[in-house]
Amino acid sequence: MSVRGLLFSAALVAAWSLPAGNATAESALQQSGALPHGGAYVIDPDTTVASAAIGLWFRAPGAGYDDSTPGIAELAATAAAVAPLASGKSLFALVHSVGGELNVEVYPDIVGIATVVPASAARRVVAAITAAYYAPSVDEVAVKTARANAAVLGVQQRYEADATLHDLLFKQIFATGPAHYPPLPVSVAEITSISTAQIGAFAKRAFRSENSFLALSGNVDASSLAAVTDGGGPGRMDPPYDSTPAASPASATTSALIGGIGLAWIGPPITDEKASTALDFIADYLFREETGVVTRELDQSASDAAVVGQFITLHDPGVMVVTIGGDHADQARDRVLGALLAMRTPMDAQTFNAAREAFLYHVASDTQTPQERADNLGWYDVEGDPGYAPGIVDGTYGRSVRSLDPAYVADVVKHYLATPVVVNMQAKESSQ
Amino acid sequence: MNFVRRAAAALSVALLPVTLLGGAPTVLPPSSDTVAGTTVLQQIDAAASLAGITLVVRAGLDRQTMKQNGLAALVAETIVKTPVGTPPMPLEDAVAARGGSVRFTVDPGDVRFYVEALAADAPAVLELLRAAIAAPDFSPATVRAARAALTQEIAASQQVALQVGLDMLNAVSSVQANAGLPELGTPASLADLFPADAAAFYRAYYRRGGVLVSAAGQLDALSTATLSGLAGALPLGTTSPVTVHVAALRGTTREIVAHRDISSPWLIAQYPAPMVDNRDFGPMLVLAAFLRRTISDIAQVPGVVSPTFASRSVGAVYVYDRVPSSLVIYVNGGLIGNPSRTFATALSVVNVLAATTLQGSIEEFKAEAAGDFADNATTLETRTWLAAVFSRESTSPDFINHALTAIAATTPADVQRAARTYLGNPTIALVLPRGTNLQD
Repeated sequence: MSVRGLLFSAALVAAWSLPAGNATAESALQQSGALPHGGAYVIDPDTTVASAAIGLWFRAPGAGYDDSTPGIAELAATAAAVAPLASGKSLFALVHSVGGELNVEVYPDIVGIATVVPASAARRVVAAITAAYYAPSVDEVAVKTARANAAVLGVQQRYEADATLHDLLFKQIFATGPAHYPPLPVSVAEITSISTAQIGAFAKRAFRSENSFLALSGNVDASSLAAVTDGGGPGRMDPPYDSTPAASPASATTSALIGGIGLAWIGPPITDEKASTALDFIADYLFREETGVVTRELDQSASDAAVVGQFITLHDPGVMVVTIGGDHADQARDRVLGALLAMRTPMDAQTFNAAREAFLYHVASDTQTPQERADNLGWYDVEGDPGYAPGIVDGTYGRSVRSLDPAYVADVVKHYLATPVVVNMQAKESSQ
Repeated sequence: MNFVRRAAAALSVALLPVTLLGGAPTVLPPSSDTVAGTTVLQQIDAAASLAGITLVVRAGLDRQTMKQNGLAALVAETIVKTPVGTPPMPLEDAVAARGGSVRFTVDPGDVRFYVEALAADAPAVLELLRAAIAAPDFSPATVRAARAALTQEIAASQQVALQVGLDMLNAVSSVQANAGLPELGTPASLADLFPADAAAFYRAYYRRGGVLVSAAGQLDALSTATLSGLAGALPLGTTSPVTVHVAALRGTTREIVAHRDISSPWLIAQYPAPMVDNRDFGPMLVLAAFLRRTISDIAQVPGVVSPTFASRSVGAVYVYDRVPSSLVIYVNGGLIGNPSRTFATALSVVNVLAATTLQGSIEEFKAEAAGDFADNATTLETRTWLAAVFSRESTSPDFINHALTAIAATTPADVQRAARTYLGNPTIALVLPRGTNLQD
């Protein structure tokens, strides 16, 4: 029997022992199904590594259910991670005590709790992460920690051009909805204006088991699911928290601690897999570190401008974002716009084929660790298209890449990447 | 409580005992074959969509004379820029067009090429690498392009203060002076190296003897014969290092200072450390985890749980994949309020460790060491390289189980012994912004 065959047998045996019986095999290696007390899971095993990535994802509006409390999702997610569990130890402390890492990832429309731990601790962490979020016990102490955390991250973000420009661009291109607001509170006043009761209520509503998706990757198997003892029972995940694009989004100029230029374009919804993939391809071809056409041009010209470009796949709509930092940002912006203009003409077949092969490789290379795979599985599930997660065996992403052709890519550029919304962030004069 | 007290207290605090490694799932060790004298290591990962292959050739820094600083890198870069395939294009571009990547690293004793590709493309990509290694293009144009690429890379690395400091410290700690030269050379030394020098180095040192091929990932399309065929591209023969004796510098200080175009000072300390086959390997992994946690706690903003600029500005790294091994502690002075105090505290903690019996449990630090090791061994590139290192330096390429077992077996007495043995007198590198001095 081949190694693949052995793994398949192991997966079947593991599925047999599941507490919930509706596991379905999506491929020889991956399993998915419903959690015992609400919510869904996917297991993407790899027994050749010694670590396991465990991610718990929710649909949740970053600014609250009425968009009146920007930052509440960040505060609630952090507070739940640091609140003591029945054992007396918080999820955060437990993960660190077993030699792992925990990151709270809050976006306008979703929340992800990402951990990576030694494989031997996977079961304990699955139990703790689901207990911490499915039955959150957010108290004053936990909220105080979450506030302090948010305050420090907020100050820190002022020195990060990329993240600051992202928030400013989203504010311009979305008129209403959670994406209009930054996921991280921008001032101490905002942080302190949200009460512990509000945070607790938000946590209870947002972090319901039926509103969750558990992604397990690495050296982990279905037996870990037996550790999930909390949850409210079967139910449906919330509908996606989409935002409404501005009818005529305006560009903006603002002052900040550091300078930079941001460009953004509204893109397709996640369900338009081919167009979304084309925008991923364009971002990879032009802006990928070391290999991107624009990146290489800047390197060869010894420019110290730094360009980051990516298509952010969201439920509806996605957003193409390019941020430019460093000196000579104006010239770099012109290079970016020039490169996009050139892509309105279909690429020659040889160049396109090489770029598409390179893109397929980059996707595989970027999804090779348990953490990267769990993040992708979580993100694409809660954004509404789990089968489209890049790098997943038998997923639709690879087929979408192979379906691209030069004419289609040029059409996507013309359709989606015309005039961008621009944010000019001008550095304040410093006295020191 | 001040910073020093916090650090000292951390040594004696009784931590919650957690036994983590007893139930750890065993990871299949790499297989090892010897084919026509070439060691071939394989880690089959059916879940991977990529294949990654590291080729290790005994043509590293210690094959250079002192005047040939940068020659090992120039030859490797020339190989990466050698036209291959139809139509011919530089190896790196040809590999990228087939859906893959290729890069190299120059080590004290070796040069290693790492090529990665989608599994189905791997045989073709490997053939491209084989063709370039079998017949590098040492024409003036290709060598010029290689020199230009290296010069650009050196300029970039000179902006990375940690790299500048490590280069200086490695130069001091190397037993052989040539093995401590900068990995890529310097712009001045490269300017003095010509195509004939590169061709002669290649002829002398790119030999099959000592070559190691380490592969990981989806290897269905790559047979052991195909992998060992990579070594077959090279002529038979073995080589020896160039012996360079340079009298040790005599001085009262163990501080090295450099100025670069950087915005903030960096403080870096280097201690000797055991190799992977040493009984102190596991204890040193635990010790490094302890130091990493402790100085991160010192630097971190109190009460904050997310990683911050401050917590990322310090670190402790056990460099066991380089000869000689070392333990490095660093502080980036641009991101924390008082870098000198943090650095001094870190060094004090090390001294305390060497002199004081550890009180309480070390289980949490063992867990952290195991977690760090496991999490850092998940990319195909790391896995192929670690298998190669452990194959060379120990009795087995089974890096993951060896490390986890060594960590699990570590006792407080082992940690203290390792601290006493290795963490005596560090060499310190200070990398300062131009126009500043130590008193600043």
